Amino acid sequence: MVSTVLVANRGEIACRILRACSEAGLNSVAIYANNDKDSMFVELATISVELAGETIGETYLDQQQILDIAAEYGADAIHPGFGFLSERADFARAVLEAGITWIGPSPLAIEMMGDKMTARKTMKAAGVPVIPGEEIDFEDETKMIEAIVQASTRVGYPLLLKASSGGGGKGMRKVESPDDLVESIKGARREAIAAFGDGRVYIERMLTGSKHVEIQVLADTHGRVIHLGERECSVQRRHQKVFEESPCPVMTTDLREKMGQAAVMAAKAVDYEGAGTVEFLLTSTGEFFFLEMNTRIQVEHPVTEMVTGIDLVREQLRIAAGKPMSCGQLMMRGHAIEVRLYAEDASNNFLPAIGPLAVFRPPTGPGIRLDTGVREGDMVTPNYDPMLAKLIVWAPSRAEALQRMRRALDDFVVLGTTTNLRFLRELCDHEDVVSGATDTTMIERIWPNGWSPQFSSEILNAALMVAGVSESAGLHTVQATMSSTDDGPLSPFQSLTRRYP
Amino acid sequence: MQHEFKFAGDTVEVTVARDSQTWHLGDLECQIMADGRLKLTVNGVTKFAHSTKVGDVWWVHIDGHVFCIEKTEAGSNDDDSQGGMVAPMPGKIIDVLVEQGQSVTAGDLLLVMEAMKMEHRIVANMDGVIGMLKLTPGDQVQQGDVLVEISE
Repeated sequence: MVSTVLVANRGEIACRILRACSEAGLNSVAIYANNDKDSMFVELATISVELAGETIGETYLDQQQILDIAAEYGADAIHPGFGFLSERADFARAVLEAGITWIGPSPLAIEMMGDKMTARKTMKAAGVPVIPGEEIDFEDETKMIEAIVQASTRVGYPLLLKASSGGGGKGMRKVESPDDLVESIKGARREAIAAFGDGRVYIERMLTGSKHVEIQVLADTHGRVIHLGERECSVQRRHQKVFEESPCPVMTTDLREKMGQAAVMAAKAVDYEGAGTVEFLLTSTGEFFFLEMNTRIQVEHPVTEMVTGIDLVREQLRIAAGKPMSCGQLMMRGHAIEVRLYAEDASNNFLPAIGPLAVFRPPTGPGIRLDTGVREGDMVTPNYDPMLAKLIVWAPSRAEALQRMRRALDDFVVLGTTTNLRFLRELCDHEDVVSGATDTTMIERIWPNGWSPQFSSEILNAALMVAGVSESAGLHTVQATMSSTDDGPLSPFQSLTRRYP
Repeated sequence: MQHEFKFAGDTVEVTVARDSQTWHLGDLECQIMADGRLKLTVNGVTKFAHSTKVGDVWWVHIDGHVFCIEKTEAGSNDDDSQGGMVAPMPGKIIDVLVEQGQSVTAGDLLLVMEAMKMEHRIVANMDGVIGMLKLTPGDQVQQGDVLVEISE
């Protein structure tokens, strides 16, 4: 049984899990770093406990401190969310050894899937197709370079270098020609060491023009392993997803069954428990290859929830408590699309942005869901991931869902921090998105020289008039005062003062 | 009332006139709503705009577009587009690929910095010669710090 869940995460996903706990009638414990003391998720828990320490390593990644808090406040389960400690087998093991329920798969399953080279070998053994490529068993830089250079002649160009401990595009490099190979290996290795403390890198053929299609799986402790259909997440910038949907526009019942069975086989191969995602590349010829398995709840899980009607986080809680999952036969209804709202400058190579959320007005209406961890008045700092929110829409058909997304994006007002809202809005109008002909390299293909916003002179003139009238009338202003004393040099502190006419 | 703004590098003068509750700019008309939004008609369609000022910059949302329009004082037209390349955000310098006095062409890789766990490549924004360059790998930089100067 589980009665009190500690959520070892922050921001949007912590909000999602804390609300699910509340709805399940469970007590919850939130943990937060000092620079998160005013964040939304801190308000949503039964008890919120401040973590000692300054850096991420000293706070959200401090396993012992989190375990001590769990013991002190009587938490009998820990939900890791995504990122942070969610795919750390050593943490899962420490949680279990402390007699606390780990809301996720076994430490062994995390290890086998978390090390991408081991995962490739495990999948090959289980009969799941993997991307043509080679595992590289050297950690030493010189030997690694030598082995990859040799492997590259067999794998062919363009190719991808991937960190064995990798994820989220970190430690990943696309290599177009042999001239760039050595420099790219060094860069990938350096980034992998910085991000994961593990510099091992392997090599895969780059399957250009492919779709990223992933299958949601759910496994309980009563021997049931099922899939909940697919999500297509092809639209990516810098290997990070920005636009996700379900169903995949080119999916057939037959292909879904095949990919679903492969995903179930992958989960069974590691005795999986809980919610997980098996990612595949789907080529234009209908072949699919195992990419990796994410042994946790995923950022884009809401699109599956919208089309299946299943609350994945509630199922995670149920399964962790030893109960059978509550899902019946798979039923997919209508179409769901999610876009990720990032604080970033889409017109400047998607560089992360910081600033105050002086105005933050999300859209409302039927079929619209917003998963966020911020609200108006919050400050976007460089301390954490720049994802501000996930905007999800549902409609009976794909065309209607896309139309609803356009309307929702037009109505979404965020001022004070640069976001990718307009980029997402223009994406919804692109012919490949409209037709569903999306692939993983489409952003670079559509905007080879970078994206810049398109607008008419009438709209610009209207905006200039708004600025002129606002200035004349002394409308809403935010006094951005930089203080290096309150929050440390990385976190500009600001106070809000507002005036309305 | 006349205001000077800067948008996308250009200086723009905006003169708005007020007639009771309605503001005018050429053919455009605009009213301020009780909640602080602005109501105006563009191409025959009524739009509701949001505006907020952060520091010297007016952020304007209208019809799904966001514009950052900087309020400047008339006559104080300082040209800040010199060859100083500034840090786009706080971070750490990982690699320095050029040295003082070296000739570079636009697009050359100058520095690699890490911010928000990602590597960012700082490339030359113009042809020229590297001037001041005090950074070495491992240095922390703040947003807006001049990383490297290039002179023609």
